[in-house]
Amino acid sequence: MKKLLVSAFVFIMSMGMINAQETKSLPVLPDNISVKNLDGKTIQTSEFGNDGKPYILSFWATWCKPCLRELNTIKEVYEEWQEETGVKIIAVSIDDARGASRVKPLVNGSGWEYEVYIDQNQDLKRAMNVVNVPHTFIINGKGEIVWQHTSFVEGSEEELIELVKKVMNGEDISESK
Amino acid sequence: MKKLLIMLVASVFTVQLQAQSLGGGQVTGNFQIDAQLSRQDSAIGAEDVPQKLLSNVFANLLYTNGGFSAGVRFESYLDPLLGFNAQYKGAGIANKFMSYQNDMFEITAGNFYDQYGSGLIFRSYEDRNLGLDNAMMGVNVKVRPMDGIIIKSMVGKQRYYWDYGKGLVRGIDGEFSINSLIKRFEESKTRVTLGAGFISKYEEDQTILAGDNYKLNLPLNVGAGSFRMDLAHGNWGLQAEYAIKSQDPNVLNNYIYKGGNALFVSASYSQKGLGINLQAKRIDNMGFKSERSATGEMLYINYIPAMSKQHTYALMALYPAITQVNGEMGVQADVTYSIKKGTLLGGKYGTGIKMNFSQIMSIDKQPLEGYTTIGETGTDGYTSNFFKVGDELYYQDFNIEISKKLSKAAKLAVTYAYIAFNPIMENEHGDIHYNNVFVADYTHKLNSKNVLRGELQWLKSNIAYFDEDKRSGDWLMALVEWNFTSAFFLSVSDQYNYNGSEEHYYNVSVGYTHNTTRLQVGYGKQRKGLLCIGGVCREVPASNGLTISLTSSF
Repeated sequence: MKKLLVSAFVFIMSMGMINAQETKSLPVLPDNISVKNLDGKTIQTSEFGNDGKPYILSFWATWCKPCLRELNTIKEVYEEWQEETGVKIIAVSIDDARGASRVKPLVNGSGWEYEVYIDQNQDLKRAMNVVNVPHTFIINGKGEIVWQHTSFVEGSEEELIELVKKVMNGEDISESK
Repeated sequence: MKKLLIMLVASVFTVQLQAQSLGGGQVTGNFQIDAQLSRQDSAIGAEDVPQKLLSNVFANLLYTNGGFSAGVRFESYLDPLLGFNAQYKGAGIANKFMSYQNDMFEITAGNFYDQYGSGLIFRSYEDRNLGLDNAMMGVNVKVRPMDGIIIKSMVGKQRYYWDYGKGLVRGIDGEFSINSLIKRFEESKTRVTLGAGFISKYEEDQTILAGDNYKLNLPLNVGAGSFRMDLAHGNWGLQAEYAIKSQDPNVLNNYIYKGGNALFVSASYSQKGLGINLQAKRIDNMGFKSERSATGEMLYINYIPAMSKQHTYALMALYPAITQVNGEMGVQADVTYSIKKGTLLGGKYGTGIKMNFSQIMSIDKQPLEGYTTIGETGTDGYTSNFFKVGDELYYQDFNIEISKKLSKAAKLAVTYAYIAFNPIMENEHGDIHYNNVFVADYTHKLNSKNVLRGELQWLKSNIAYFDEDKRSGDWLMALVEWNFTSAFFLSVSDQYNYNGSEEHYYNVSVGYTHNTTRLQVGYGKQRKGLLCIGGVCREVPASNGLTISLTSSF
């Protein structure tokens, strides 16, 4: 029974891999998930975008120190980034009812100028296969996920903006670290 | 089981084939493998492990094609890691669903997760790392008849380890955005969202005997309803939710016939550099499970969050607040403030201040007329004055965090917390623990690739004795972490429980991250809890020995 299960599982997994390789297309952002903005309005992920320019999508939570460090670190260079590249940051909080009502005061109190959404039921988190936070994506102008990474350490924001610049120049960064 | 599996594999296979002919679709997924080579250690509840190797594995596979999606989750616990319920033992497809949606509606058949409002009457939720999963198995429908209205309805049973609970759970919920519905308010600065939900649980009769050996006349259907509103006006915000529950004698409330209710209110004000949030809640007899005689953490239909800050530093999280579903009253105040750079206190880079206060008390409970005790089985239990605060302190927490960038390379955050913890929250008797906790968290960027981080934590408790779970007494903790870009890290830490169990919890961890794949290997002793090292936060189980963790998503 166990063997059967394992082999069935490996089979499903490999089918997935083969499928992904054959088509060689990039995964796209799910466009039909509902999240809420900081005013409690329901927004569909199809409304995510940056006028055809790439953007950074970052999953975080009020209880996640590395996430707060990431968003605070980027805060200091965000204006510069926007002037240079026009990049936008969408920060999605996965806080549940315990933390969700603290999100807006925390965002404003910290002086973050990001577009922030709350994914309280974690629908988007599940749809994008986020396991742990922080988990950061770069989405290109076509809504394709061109890069993703989990974990944040001071200095990785520099790699992040370099990658965004490459995406803007049309380079393939899917194999970048 | 075998048949089911074959059918599943076949269905995923056909779906893929068809999808390819329909033009693609995409397969994504994620998995996590946690393995422990454990040594016996009574200090952290690690019993002798005859199997030597324990492992938890999960893998999600998700297929999407336009509005269609389907997914399966494989789980294996052979055998479950320490701290996970033994009933998890086994392997198989634990979760499967198919879903279709367009602009107007969405239907999901199989397992689903959803919540009504903040979850006071309904939330199905999972946290794999905590072993929590009350996924619904059934059908969930969401309809958007017009912009600004979302109606949800569902029916199903709840997951219970590898089985489903006996209770049938049905629900309907509506959410209305007034600004979208009424043209005149479309551009209004004031945003108003109203919602209401209703849940009904059906469970077959069973024999529960009260004191004098008479059988309780149990309600087979239990209902719960809630109203909520969300107001936002510029910098101001107000959220409120009120829920009631009909007679629901269950093991949590000692089979009393009193109804339940819950109120949650949150108000906030924020502008750039300042955020304030005030919350209050009152819970009275709101334990709501799909099986009336179920204990433990599974089969909860609703979710009542603890009204306190969720701490991440290990010693601050040592005594967490635990929601008392049978009754509690709490308040919380939270302030986030940024001092501008270039000012006296802000310095060259600015300063961040976070303050938080929470207090959780019992509710007023008086015996019924003619009774001397509270909550006697088969009675209405007690009476309670809604506005009167009970006289027992459950939890109190005042904490302040000051974070400062000292130079281009150095950052320092210092945190102080005063935490009072009543063991009654864990159903234990004993004196209230009063703890003072100090934390210093220092980060130094040596160059663009190397970052050092250190944490010093000290917990000073008023209680210095040896207790069963080896938590009482004072604690010292030190952690040093070296990161080479976000790809590699090495961390060394020790937690020392002095004036108590005198135990050391030393731990060495290394980790390697490539995009979304992360391998982490640790050696040493670990208390269970939220662990944030190497730039990631996750809940970890108690361990002693070697632990290996591999996480990936694709």
